[in-house]
Amino acid sequence: MKQERFVALHRQEWDSLQAWLGSAELRSREAMRSTQALAFPALYRRLCHHLALARARGYSREVTDRLQNLVQQGHRVLYRPPAPRWHRVAMFLVADFPRMVRAEWRCIALAAVLLYVPMLFCLVLMQLKPELAHSVFGSAQLAEFEKMYDPANASIGRSSGSDLGMFGHYVMNNISIAFRTFASGLLLGVGAVYVMTTNGVIIGTVAGHLTGMGFGHPFWRFVVGHSSFELTALVISGGAGLRLGLTLLAPGRQRRGPAMVMAGWVGAQLALGAFAMLLMAAFIEAFWSSIASLPDLVKFGSGALLWLLVLGWLWRGGAERVRHSDGA
Amino acid sequence: MLDTVRQFETPEGIFLRLRSAGALPRAQAWSIDFVIRVLVCWMGMIPLAFLGQAGVGIGMLVMFVLMWFYPVVCEVFFHGQTLGKRAIGLRVVNADGTPVTWVPSMARNLLRVVDMLPGVYGVGLVSTLIDPYGRRLGDIIAGTMVIHTSELPSGNHVPVLAAERPPLDLAADEQAVIVDFAERCAQLTPQRQQELANLLDPLTGQTGEAGARQLVAYANWLIGRP
Repeated sequence: MKQERFVALHRQEWDSLQAWLGSAELRSREAMRSTQALAFPALYRRLCHHLALARARGYSREVTDRLQNLVQQGHRVLYRPPAPRWHRVAMFLVADFPRMVRAEWRCIALAAVLLYVPMLFCLVLMQLKPELAHSVFGSAQLAEFEKMYDPANASIGRSSGSDLGMFGHYVMNNISIAFRTFASGLLLGVGAVYVMTTNGVIIGTVAGHLTGMGFGHPFWRFVVGHSSFELTALVISGGAGLRLGLTLLAPGRQRRGPAMVMAGWVGAQLALGAFAMLLMAAFIEAFWSSIASLPDLVKFGSGALLWLLVLGWLWRGGAERVRHSDGA
Repeated sequence: MLDTVRQFETPEGIFLRLRSAGALPRAQAWSIDFVIRVLVCWMGMIPLAFLGQAGVGIGMLVMFVLMWFYPVVCEVFFHGQTLGKRAIGLRVVNADGTPVTWVPSMARNLLRVVDMLPGVYGVGLVSTLIDPYGRRLGDIIAGTMVIHTSELPSGNHVPVLAAERPPLDLAADEQAVIVDFAERCAQLTPQRQQELANLLDPLTGQTGEAGARQLVAYANWLIGRP
């Protein structure tokens, strides 16, 4: 078939499809409700068929380029991402995220060791040799911490600010740290290792120093509430970073490229989950941990409950039930 | 090969042509986004300044969202385009040409931290220069790429002349060359047209303007005009 005849036969079809695609990119909701939307997948395949024919028959660029552009536009509309649904978000938080954490437990356990071992080490060391606190922090910083957790201080745990002010502060600081921890894992894991150990040293030293000088009670009272979400989220984002770095070093039985894409896919989801956890932690830290009037029992009890909740969620969330009967 | 067009075969068995964008347009788009973000942040601070400590908190939240989630939300909801990318005519797509979704967009934007590293996008610049499709590290790991939105102009209409059959049976690629010449006539000066047509003197038997017209007449016959 000669080119002119081919164009004459199909021009109308292409024109109407082009008009609909144009409206689908501008006002997608309206276009998707029109009756043409139902016919679109079939029309798109026909269009692809026409392009393949045009190329095989060596038609000129006037035809092939036009069809090529139309096909690319159609491809974008046909394979557009599904509309976001809250149900998906809930499913991710309840089931997919804990599953992914369990699947990646090796890296996350490694990150936990990198955080908790220096932390406990410093905590114990501060009890034995309290003067070493001065080799980690300057005197001004130590004085600041001491002022924050002074039992005589009205608002324990913060230097200044209202609840909402501190919420913004915690979100900005903590979540940025978690995201950077994940991303810096790409530097062969060095970044993640560095962030985890330095955080372990800092937290352990502060906790040990304050406990040693007798401010332990207000300090532990303050941190017990949000520590579960905050520390676990930091460990998870560190694990995601380590996964990136370790995959770069040792991709296993895959080529490095696809292995890295996979690690990025997993890591981004872990970072998203850590983001949700840190949002929760910031909320607790700003609006619950700061309440000074509650009795110890409520504070430590709720803290323990939250630790159980977080660990239980990560351990059992989205787990498949043991099947009693096969079939169906 | 010195070609930044990435071909991708779709499930329908045809090839998509993704024209990858280099470092310069992407830097321009990023700069526009940066200015927009700074302006929004700055304008937001003015009313928030009256709210005292709570205002500082809300300001921090605004900064946080602008810093980490502005590109992700824009890319997912506005066809892979932040405002800067839209202004320059760029778009983020998955490696298979489909619109970018949440997880890849999140991955590529979080990994900016590494691409930005020494100074302003040092690692990213080196990566875009090395990668054949101009991807920075974040793009490579997220499996995405940044492409130009504008399509290449398609071929022009062949000028209408009385069709004439070529004296020889031409092979398919030879036919394509003659039709291509006819389609491009409008973009060429008459001198250049004649210069090109003179090369086919053995076929047309004519030179100069008559030769060029003869080729267009052949092209008319080849695409099936009467």
